[in-house]
Amino acid sequence: MNTFSSIRELLLALYREEKLLTEMFKKRKTTDYKYEYALDLVENNDNKLQYLIDRSVIRQNGNNLEIDDLYLQFFEQVLDANEEINTSYINENLEKVKQNIDYYFNEQNEQRKYEYLRIIKNTLRKIGIITLRNIVDLKRNIDNTFKSEPTYKNKRAKLINLDNKRKGITKLIEQTEYLITEDDITFFRTATDEELTRIIVQLKMQLSKCTHNLIEIERQVIDFLNQIQQQSGVIEKLRQIKYLKDQFILETTTDIKQVVAANKSVIFEPKPNYPLKLSLEYLQTDEVAFASIKKIANRLKLGTKLKHPVADKISDEYLETQFEEEIQINLEEVKNSFVASSHNLFDFVMNYNFIKNVSFDERVTIYCQLVSQYENAFEITEQFAEKDDIEFAMIYPK
Amino acid sequence: MEVPAQTAEIFKILSKGQFISSNSSDKMINTLFNVIDEERNFDKLYEYFLNINFVLEKGEEYFYFSRSETKVDLENKIETAFRWIDIIDFFKTFDNSFSTGYRFTPSEILVRIKTDAELETKLDGLKKHTDKEKHQDILDKILKKLIDETFIELENEITNQYKVLASFKYLEQLILTINIPDEVKNEIPE
Repeated sequence: MNTFSSIRELLLALYREEKLLTEMFKKRKTTDYKYEYALDLVENNDNKLQYLIDRSVIRQNGNNLEIDDLYLQFFEQVLDANEEINTSYINENLEKVKQNIDYYFNEQNEQRKYEYLRIIKNTLRKIGIITLRNIVDLKRNIDNTFKSEPTYKNKRAKLINLDNKRKGITKLIEQTEYLITEDDITFFRTATDEELTRIIVQLKMQLSKCTHNLIEIERQVIDFLNQIQQQSGVIEKLRQIKYLKDQFILETTTDIKQVVAANKSVIFEPKPNYPLKLSLEYLQTDEVAFASIKKIANRLKLGTKLKHPVADKISDEYLETQFEEEIQINLEEVKNSFVASSHNLFDFVMNYNFIKNVSFDERVTIYCQLVSQYENAFEITEQFAEKDDIEFAMIYPK
Repeated sequence: MEVPAQTAEIFKILSKGQFISSNSSDKMINTLFNVIDEERNFDKLYEYFLNINFVLEKGEEYFYFSRSETKVDLENKIETAFRWIDIIDFFKTFDNSFSTGYRFTPSEILVRIKTDAELETKLDGLKKHTDKEKHQDILDKILKKLIDETFIELENEITNQYKVLASFKYLEQLILTINIPDEVKNEIPE
């Protein structure tokens, strides 16, 4: 089996087939990534694929290809996308710390002692990061399982397994805490190294963060498990009840009657309506109510013909005829009398015996009226006479 | 007695036999839920409504009314319960996880019916509760009823997406309280 001879070669190889690896990584969940698909992505160059296969980046299984587990894990861990939660890794690191502490104590040479201390520091730092990452993975996995696992039994089993993982992590955190605070207290006291102290403080903070997260995860898992329990409980019960109901024996075989009778919920009652009358005061004073009333009144008007209002009877008083007399002077008659006489018109009018009392001024007016109306029947002369400051023309009949 | 300002609205909804659920997307219902959910308020409202013979009941994330005496006879109640059993059975057949918070559109159900004979039979079985013939009409009527009873709500009018409210738990709880004697249980086929 060929291996890469340097990091540079490895990185170059990965970069060269970046397209293929990206695609295969995306499809890592589906088992069959066909050789032909892969060929398409490497410009149909068989040698390129073979190169990767030779160096165990890709594994060939019949006609299918998959990314080698080593690389897959690396990618997943670096990209925070792994679904496997591996507690053994933490455990291993823990062991490594313990062993190195032993070596540290046994070693007399300062140089080598420092070397061990360095390993211990590195490992402790790693423990913190791995634990935190594991917890993030755990939380995501629990969420995903609950939301997307379609099979009930598997969902439950998976959640229980994840819960066990959680317990494992909790235990490891406890062990780590025990290690750095009590177990090897002599080491942590004697190895006075500033960086070590800082790493330990950091680790403690990370661990306490993890513990808090784990408490939340525990609550969530319990909640999810309860929901599943409740769901499957309901479904099972429903199935049984439906069966009995379809057999028409639900009422006789179960206590449904008692259950329903004991249930006094309002939802069983028909919807009530409250036919309350409107407040009169409201109707009289409110603007909105008035608008509604007008609207309804209008609507009513359309359908029915309104009766025309009948006026009251006219009182008899108004019907009685009443007389008013007014004496009018008949100018025609006066003219006729004048024509028959020989007086001048003015004197005639002054002396005419009217049926009512006529004043001097009125007589002058009658004189004028006669002249203007019957001009043709009279002979108007050029002579003038005067009486009571009135100058008048002498007029005779024709 | 000091009662919250929303008491009248709460009464209006609950006295119709409807529920006030925590996960309603209706803002008003949501506010009302929070008002009742406050412990101080709950006690006051409980006392207040008790005076007019309504018992304010607290379920898991929902509230409803019951009363000490109901005017409905047993037969009607059993009929209602039977209807609910049929309806829940139908939706649970559609999707096992049909419960509080579940979202669906009627078209999803109708599409499934075409390929799922069991679901189709069950929908046909719901005919008797709706007086309708066409699948879509039956489903629409059932959904409308569930909306009226505030077990579900139309969450998105544009996509016609419905959401199951917290009050659905009430139905599940009712199912769970029915006790099947062991000897009867043994006769039910798996």
